[in-house]
Amino acid sequence: MIARDFREALQLGEILRDEFIVDAHAHMDTWYNFHIPEQGTPASMVHAMDLVGIDVTIAAPHICIGPDYRQGNRDVCAAAQQYPGRIVPFVTINPNYPVEEIRAEIEHWETHGGIAGFKFHPACHLADACHANYYPVFEYCQERELPILSHNWTGAPVNGKDTLHGLAEAFPRVTFIVGHAASGWPVIDLNCAIARLYPNVMLDTTGSGLTFDALPEMARRIGAERIIWGTDNPFIDPRPGLGRVLMARISDDEKRLILGLNAQRVFKL
Amino acid sequence: MDDRGGGKLRFFDCNMRLGRAGVVRPEHILDAAGLLGEMDYAGLDSALVYHAFSQEWDAGGGNAKLLEEIGDCGRFYPCFVPLPHATHEMPSLAEFGADLKRRHGAARLYPKAHSYSLQDWCAGEMLDVLEALRLPVLIELAQTDWDELAGVLAAHPRLPVIVLATSYRVNRYLYPLWEKFDNLYLETATFQIMRGIEDVCRRFGPQRLVFGTGLPLLDAGGPLAQVTYAELPVAHKRMIAGETLAELLGLEHWGGAA
Repeated sequence: MIARDFREALQLGEILRDEFIVDAHAHMDTWYNFHIPEQGTPASMVHAMDLVGIDVTIAAPHICIGPDYRQGNRDVCAAAQQYPGRIVPFVTINPNYPVEEIRAEIEHWETHGGIAGFKFHPACHLADACHANYYPVFEYCQERELPILSHNWTGAPVNGKDTLHGLAEAFPRVTFIVGHAASGWPVIDLNCAIARLYPNVMLDTTGSGLTFDALPEMARRIGAERIIWGTDNPFIDPRPGLGRVLMARISDDEKRLILGLNAQRVFKL
Repeated sequence: MDDRGGGKLRFFDCNMRLGRAGVVRPEHILDAAGLLGEMDYAGLDSALVYHAFSQEWDAGGGNAKLLEEIGDCGRFYPCFVPLPHATHEMPSLAEFGADLKRRHGAARLYPKAHSYSLQDWCAGEMLDVLEALRLPVLIELAQTDWDELAGVLAAHPRLPVIVLATSYRVNRYLYPLWEKFDNLYLETATFQIMRGIEDVCRRFGPQRLVFGTGLPLLDAGGPLAQVTYAELPVAHKRMIAGETLAELLGLEHWGGAA
């Protein structure tokens, strides 16, 4: 690295080639609600990763959080085969489908490449994060010490306010990653309070709301080792989220944890 | 320094707030000295600033307070908040515009918060004055809507309009407007769609984009990264980082090189 530190690297536009950077919250392909340049293809995502030096992206295609989670799981598996080591699949589960289908989906991926972690989207699927049909996932992850990323675990529009408390206590070997946990102070306050209670809860910085000075405050409250970086690529470009971390008033070692080392540990990359 | 670099860019932030506001947090910077410190930390050279009083209390009172608080600091340029003429709450629009032009400033509008319409029956005289002087007008998307915006752009084709605080979901509105109107500009901070900056530059040109942060409410690092890591020629990055805004403000010698 030529820059003196990560902040200067950002100011210079210098790619952090010597660092291990993991985008632990991404999607893939198009989405009905708005235009995504280059259709969010795996190739365009890898190109966006290369522009800032992201080594690995863990992805759940948009179709997973929309109409067909099984199709999306297969699409991201194909992308992972096309870009080995660069794209890692989430296995997404939609609990609105029968539990037998969900068990079969888990078994399928158990025998077809393995599972790094699961993705839930209670907001799009309008299903509480403690829906009964998610329990095969909780049990599977408890047995194998795997992470589950949820768009949200608590609160609007469908989750109970105590959902994550009950799950984190009942499944202590599962790492529960709270998506979009840095998007505004009410969300930050709530999720930091929960994370302080349960060591198996991690907070994810993904989101478009770059709340001023949120990251240092989160690191102060729960420690940088409990914060995980994601982008929502290709919903959201990776650069704003990266810049937010690189500019934050925390040490470069804390930034390293947030940008990749924590994900490497949790997802066993 | 990678091959897309060329040294540090100079940044001119179009969206910065100064002053005490009703809803604040301990980390919020409220004074000019604090903002300058944050600009130094982030690497921002200049900023177009408005005063929270203009938004939340009294437009004219806030504009005066802004001048008082920025003093003679050459890194701040005033963004005044005007009101439509009919209620006579401000000095004459002609004086207002001439004063702002002398100061290389811009106007920031709050039609929803300040309870008026942007249509010509209500804001026409005000927009006519700003248009005649080519004074840039800044407006948060939440203060208007795309149809109203299209009306302003059509009725005032020489009025530069910078839309602030949009999102990653706006291209289906933005692109048809850019096909029709050259006087529409977009603040980059919240325009976070994947490779959106490159897509806009390819389709419409880099002159459509203006750097902004939203300080002290939002972090500067994200908006900076969108530009410093953009897959664009350095000349285009300089335009986005500050040259286009400086040109809109009539600052001939601002310059984009560090």
